[in-house]
Amino acid sequence: MQKIEAIIQPSKLDAVKDALIELGVQGMTILEARGHGRQKGHTETYRGREYSVDLLPKIKLEMVVTDELLDSVIAAICSTARSGKIGDGKIFVSRIDNAIRIRNDERGDLAI
Amino acid sequence: MTGTASRSLSLRDFYQQGMEEIRARFHSTQSARSAGREAITARARLADELVTRLWRQYSVHEALQSGVAIVAVGGYGRSTLYPCSDLDILFLLDNNRTESQVKDPIRRITQEIWDCGLRASPATRLLSECDSLISGNAEFTLSLLDHRFLAGDRKLYDRLDQETLPRLLQREHRTLISRLIELTEDRHAKYAHTLFHLEPNIKDCPGGLRDLHVCQWLTTLYQIAAAAQKRSRTEPVGPADFQQAADFLATVRCFLHYAHDRDDNTLYWSAQDSAAAASLGLGDLGGRIADSSVWMRAFFRNARTISRRANQLLEEAPLLRGTSFVDQLRRKNKRIQADGYYIQHDHVFFDQPATPRSPDPVTDPDIVLHLFEAIAQHGCQISSEAEDRLESALPHIAANLEEGPALWKHLRNILNGPHAGRALRAMHALGILELIVPEFLGVDALVIRDAYHRYTVDEHTFVLIDTLHALPTPAVSTSTGRPNPLREWQSRFGELLKSQPHPELLYLAALMHDVGKGRETPNHCTESARMAKDLFARMDLDAYEAGIVNNLIVQHLALSSALRRDIFDSETLRLVVEKIETPEQLQLLTLLTFADIAAVHPDALTPWKAENLWNLYVGASNFMDRTVDEERVQSRVHSELIQRVTTLEPASSQAIRDFLQGLPQRYLRTHTSEEILQHFHMASRLVRPDAKASADDLAAAVAKAVELDLKQAIPVSEITLVALDRSRLFATIAGGLSAWGMDIVNAEAFSNANGVVVDNFSFIDRFRTLELNPTEHKRFLKSLKDALTGAVPVESLLESRARGGRRRTPKVKVETQVNFDQEASSHSTLLQVIAQDVPGLLRSISISLAEHDCNIEVALIDTEGETAIDVFYITRNGEKLDSARAAQLRDDLIVAIAQNPL
Repeated sequence: MQKIEAIIQPSKLDAVKDALIELGVQGMTILEARGHGRQKGHTETYRGREYSVDLLPKIKLEMVVTDELLDSVIAAICSTARSGKIGDGKIFVSRIDNAIRIRNDERGDLAI
Repeated sequence: MTGTASRSLSLRDFYQQGMEEIRARFHSTQSARSAGREAITARARLADELVTRLWRQYSVHEALQSGVAIVAVGGYGRSTLYPCSDLDILFLLDNNRTESQVKDPIRRITQEIWDCGLRASPATRLLSECDSLISGNAEFTLSLLDHRFLAGDRKLYDRLDQETLPRLLQREHRTLISRLIELTEDRHAKYAHTLFHLEPNIKDCPGGLRDLHVCQWLTTLYQIAAAAQKRSRTEPVGPADFQQAADFLATVRCFLHYAHDRDDNTLYWSAQDSAAAASLGLGDLGGRIADSSVWMRAFFRNARTISRRANQLLEEAPLLRGTSFVDQLRRKNKRIQADGYYIQHDHVFFDQPATPRSPDPVTDPDIVLHLFEAIAQHGCQISSEAEDRLESALPHIAANLEEGPALWKHLRNILNGPHAGRALRAMHALGILELIVPEFLGVDALVIRDAYHRYTVDEHTFVLIDTLHALPTPAVSTSTGRPNPLREWQSRFGELLKSQPHPELLYLAALMHDVGKGRETPNHCTESARMAKDLFARMDLDAYEAGIVNNLIVQHLALSSALRRDIFDSETLRLVVEKIETPEQLQLLTLLTFADIAAVHPDALTPWKAENLWNLYVGASNFMDRTVDEERVQSRVHSELIQRVTTLEPASSQAIRDFLQGLPQRYLRTHTSEEILQHFHMASRLVRPDAKASADDLAAAVAKAVELDLKQAIPVSEITLVALDRSRLFATIAGGLSAWGMDIVNAEAFSNANGVVVDNFSFIDRFRTLELNPTEHKRFLKSLKDALTGAVPVESLLESRARGGRRRTPKVKVETQVNFDQEASSHSTLLQVIAQDVPGLLRSISISLAEHDCNIEVALIDTEGETAIDVFYITRNGEKLDSARAAQLRDDLIVAIAQNPL
């Protein structure tokens, strides 16, 4: 099992979600986040006051998938979240030792 | 098998068989509203029979021969026993008995009850113990309010019923009322004081069965209180459908007990679907099956009826305070009398007719609406008595209600009140709101059934309006005691709300924005706008007001949609600005969007979303200002906005188009057709110089070509200047206004392709010169015209102001900022000046611009508190400013602002 953490642009959320559901990804966690990489943010002026937007709004998706599904999930995220501009985001992958479904104690791949 | 076991078996069989019959009867009749009431009454009777039979068996025991009675209390005492509820019984002992004497037989009786399949919750008390209110256990005394003899020593029970309890209540009714209110408040707080939950607990939530019991207990206790104060209490009639609501909830609770097979009162999502499929409590639907959202609509209507009654009774408690003469006097002194009604102890009451032949104030719509204005303004409650009278008078009110501007005035005052939500909820509950806005009927308790929308559509509307009103004074913590995470954003948006000159238009849009959801339509925004147009017509809203509200309703999802895109992308901003058009609309729509999201669900608006919405607003606002110079009217191109103007005077169609040619699109969007036509007429009266005249004659002719129009109002007046463009025009009018002590709050200056300028200045008459001296209007206009035509130098007008005036100390110090943007426009330089808002500021700026030979193509002047925010699109010799000139101009502006003589 592999855990995928994907930081994407908020405007890409719907497209990424639809693609994952189509692939059969049953569950995911979506978090509102802020951050930046090389895309540093900017300063906006309003009514004489400057507003620094250093940390840009992002969406973080987390999901655990089977090893077999990993590559197709990564490909789906990349193709739907990509715009080609700085700020598209990143995907991180880490290994998961186990997963347990609380309701009925299913474990391993069955739990995801 | 022992005799006891054999008896238990037959008793158990008896009970179980009875339960099966009750269950079967319930399931066969569960669509009937009374199915629940019948089932719980039947179970109570069955339990009575069981207890009575048990008593007969055990009463042969010496300890139970006398001095012991079995009393049903709590729900069982009300003869209502839900399928999985406990049996609340009291073993009442005479004072000369001891618990040890009866412990064994009581234990065996209780055990047999358990063996039969019931859960008994027994209590054993001496009669004397029932005569005191135990601190920390008021719940026991409250349970005694509903008591019923089952078996045993009848005389002992009668002493409880006729002596002990009346004595206790006589003594402790106030403490009990306070304690009951505390317990109810605590319970309501656990459910965030709302009956609207995705999976409500139908017993404990506000509007649930526990609130029904609270109504019954408070009614009893208030009667005792009234008797103690030697006054009569006329029991309010209450909502006609209260009993029906109680029956409905009883049926739902039975359904849940049977479905869960335990005392679980949560109306889970799946249970809602099952209840709908069974048409639970809805009556005969002629074979149709109710949709789950339709069924939940019925549920919320019934819960709302119970909740409303419970809240009325809870809020009556302060009215009972005090029996002393001083207290009564104090109460009398607190009465605030209005026309036809009065406010006392935070409750509103209607006056009685002065004579039997006088008209009843409650039938006068004007008085009724004034009463709701008072509620909206002061946050007081409508009394039960006033509610009863209103419900009876509804047909008279409907017959006498007049449409037109007076109706809008009432609604406006209600919407603008800080407690508008409270007033609107009361009006809605009583049917008054629907008399004014029949469009609202379609969204009464309308459920949008998904995991996101917590409130019914009508409640969502009221929560939205509450949210808006709460913006300027955000709470420090939430209802659960946690720090308010949105506080910073509420403050920021609150400042935006405070700057709105017509907030009532925002509230009206809020009221109507979702009425279209009550119709089968693919787009509820356009449907809501269409329905709202009828309301505008009935209230005689002018075209400007109606236009703003209409656009807000149509576009109320535009910013939410934009939030799903890249909010920093100029294409997103362009699309937003295309739809929203004017800065005022953008501000109002931003506020509506903030509150609309917040009112979907308590957690819907996160600080993350609020920040994104703010950034979107700032981006769109700046985009609007930066493109105003680019988007100009092309009068040859068909435009609905142009057509609206030419329709007013078709004979002048071509001339109007010539006048509009080259003006910024913003001019068309921020003025009504009537205003534009008026400006056209002013422009038509300008005497154009003969092209063959000498330069001096030309200049003189241009100088004389000035038209002024004044609209004096409180607090903000408006003056419009239409003239042939020339140097220092803007500086002169700004100076003239300052010389008269006028505080310019905003202004727009536009010019068309034919060299005609249209300048609008909104100003506050600080010294009320025009307000107090209507005869001065002519002199004011003449003075300005003299300055503009050069007949009188404006400097001489300003001198006396500079000598006589004393600059007030600002509350907030604003640093001067001067910024240039060469990218915003393709042919002008954008200049933004932020400075302390003081008299003469605009003149100082425009003099500096004139001294640098800068032509003002567009000026957008605004004030926010003590800050002046002035945006100019300027050219020099028809070109943008070069960087050296811009740098010099910046220095000169800073000096001029600092040296402003006023």
